[in-house]
Amino acid sequence: MSSTAHIVIDRVSHEYRPARRRPVLALDDVSLAVGDREFLALLGPSGCGKSTLLYLVGGFLPVEEGTIQVEGRPVDGPGPDRGIVFQHFALFPWKTVIQNVLYGLEKKGLPREERLRVAHEFIELVGLAGFEDSYPAQLSGGMKQRAAIARTLTIDPSILLMDEPFGALDAQTRSLMQAELLRIWQRSRKTVIFVTHDVHEAVFLAERIAVMSARPGRIKEIVDARVDRHDPEVQRTPQFLEMVDHVWNLVRAEAIQAQRSGAA
Amino acid sequence: MSELDTPLLARSAPSSFRFDAALVSVGRRAGAIASLLALLVAWEAASRSGIVTPFLLPPLSAVLNRVAEDAMSGELALNLGQTLYRAIAGFAIAGAAGVVIGILMTRRPWVRWFFDPIVSVGFPMPKIAFLPIFMLWLGLYDVSKISMAVFNAIFPVIAATMAAAEGVDRHLLWSARSLGANERQLLREIILPAALPQILTGLQVALPISMIVMIVTEMLMGGQGLGGAMIAASRFADSPGVFAGIVEIAVAGLCLVKGIAVLRRHLLAWHQEAQEPTTV
Amino acid sequence: MNAVAQILPRYVPLLLLAMAWEVVTRTGLVPTAALPPLDTVAAAWLDLAVGGDLWSNGVASISRGAAGLGLAICLGSLIGVLMAWYKPVRIAVNPTVQFFYPMPKSALIPVMVLWLGFGDASKVATIFIGCLLPITLSAFNGALGTEQVLIWSARSLGASRWRVLWEVVFPSALPELLSGIRTALALSFVLLVASELIVARRGLGYMIGWLGDGGAYDAMFAVVLTVALLGFLADRLYLMLTRRILAWRE
Repeated sequence: MSSTAHIVIDRVSHEYRPARRRPVLALDDVSLAVGDREFLALLGPSGCGKSTLLYLVGGFLPVEEGTIQVEGRPVDGPGPDRGIVFQHFALFPWKTVIQNVLYGLEKKGLPREERLRVAHEFIELVGLAGFEDSYPAQLSGGMKQRAAIARTLTIDPSILLMDEPFGALDAQTRSLMQAELLRIWQRSRKTVIFVTHDVHEAVFLAERIAVMSARPGRIKEIVDARVDRHDPEVQRTPQFLEMVDHVWNLVRAEAIQAQRSGAA
Repeated sequence: MSELDTPLLARSAPSSFRFDAALVSVGRRAGAIASLLALLVAWEAASRSGIVTPFLLPPLSAVLNRVAEDAMSGELALNLGQTLYRAIAGFAIAGAAGVVIGILMTRRPWVRWFFDPIVSVGFPMPKIAFLPIFMLWLGLYDVSKISMAVFNAIFPVIAATMAAAEGVDRHLLWSARSLGANERQLLREIILPAALPQILTGLQVALPISMIVMIVTEMLMGGQGLGGAMIAASRFADSPGVFAGIVEIAVAGLCLVKGIAVLRRHLLAWHQEAQEPTTV
Repeated sequence: MNAVAQILPRYVPLLLLAMAWEVVTRTGLVPTAALPPLDTVAAAWLDLAVGGDLWSNGVASISRGAAGLGLAICLGSLIGVLMAWYKPVRIAVNPTVQFFYPMPKSALIPVMVLWLGFGDASKVATIFIGCLLPITLSAFNGALGTEQVLIWSARSLGASRWRVLWEVVFPSALPELLSGIRTALALSFVLLVASELIVARRGLGYMIGWLGDGGAYDAMFAVVLTVALLGFLADRLYLMLTRRILAWRE
């Protein structure tokens, strides 16, 4: 772990109260510290509350039990210090790529020239040059997610929250985007919390993996997953495969339990 | 709602929670009733306090009194019966003919060739303007009133049926065919049920249209019926009569719309929408 | 030229109907008292157009419709979006909206005559109130369907709540709102013509009634067809506008 903790989650529980239904305990007494510029994966079966934890850090849901601190201050609502990328892109469908990317910059009150310069820079970075004036409906899934990532990066958040960002993409696109994300992260070095249920993805991307239990979500184990990501063949090394195997065994029991309770 | 709720929603709720939910729904209903009551009280208060003259807005009590009088004298039953009979007859004819034409348009190219421009031009036209022509041709009685309702209400049914029959998932058709269904069975057993939700939506548009048109025809042609009674009251500057009319018509409209919604829920018990709680 | 060549065959059945109309009246199959031949209707239309009656009454009708519908669009979309965004507004307004929405709107006509007389005001008010609820409900349903993640994205990119309402909720509601307005547009024509037929001193609906009463059936048919065509054209123009506004949907 890095020397300073950037995000401190302390004894957080969260209950969902869907309308007209029984409240459900989504998170139970979760504590976790994320280091400065660390890449942490939150891994667990679907419905284990990993996205809920991410939304709490993002300030989208109110923290009702426990505390979450970012840079020593308790989280109070969403803010541009924590950028978020959602699974289904969440691009404004009525805005073109460039208008989407410009959205956060407009809120910052930068001069127009500067906004355009920054927007183009990030569109270039994610490889969308030439598609500035396309609407999201005209883009493929991978391109939409690139645009969403560019939109989030423009406001230069110190924290990047990623909610299964590649979950809606096909396998080839996903692996390309993973490599791309690593490239961007190595360049700009942000603190990343990356929610996924894909063991392979977590091992490949993250420095540490927090494995969560089935509902109610708890942190089951934290795995150090330092693989040599500069090695293009890393995913075929025995060391990597062993790590995947180890983490998969941790998750499997939870996935089975989640399926049972889901079917009940 | 976020996606992470979906697995949660799929779980069954224990009985204690059902009770809570019932309480919540009672609470919402109470809120709704309270807000409507507030409106009615405001009506009564406004006309009693003299903010508006009783001629412009007779007190609610006077209006309800009038409705009760109409009900006692049998006037209400007569007018309501006439209006409902004609509106529902027009709606039923438009519904049956509209579904047949809509289905035929997707099955027979020449039917489509003939009706397609008529529907595309006729649907958005204000057909109410043809009312004097219907009076000229068919007179002032039921035939012309019901024909007018059919003429107005048939277009949404045709359009909805056609769109629905066209939109049936082709994998469904292929499955049925490979399981041995012939043309007739395909239509009755696959296309009609698959198109039913949208057809019902078309009918749900057509019924209020039939009602709106019936009220106008009655206002213009006179004779019995709620619209005729209302326009007569307005001619005699009988404002409680006018307001009694609008109350009666509003309630009749509400009952018809609720009735067809109930029918929809029964017919679509198999459909996903029936399993979900209705929100709005 | 090409577009015309493509569209024309589609409307051949309408042309056939028009020809059938001319034939049955010319041959005496249908008495001309019941159905004036198409060419005399056209001649009557020209007379009305040259005489100016058609224009002055047309302008009266269209401005009534535009005023009523315009007011309903402004107020209805505002109420609808606020209903979705603020719970207190929803609790206060929704039951009333749900109760009055199914009311056959034409019943408003005598009430508005009672309140506002025979002139423009009663027609504008009828159209305004009649169109208000469909527009309100469509804006409400559209705004309710706003994706949570879009709101969250905008907030995390630094937008205030007010900006989110304007920049995310309103555009999200737009597709449904625009289709609600289309329904209201059709309804506005029905209410306009009906209220002018029933009581008025000006307007196309009034002309239809007055020409019919006077037995000038060829002129009456001419005005009826004009109104029908106006309604059709208004709808087509509106559709074109909608497509432009919603170009982002592909």
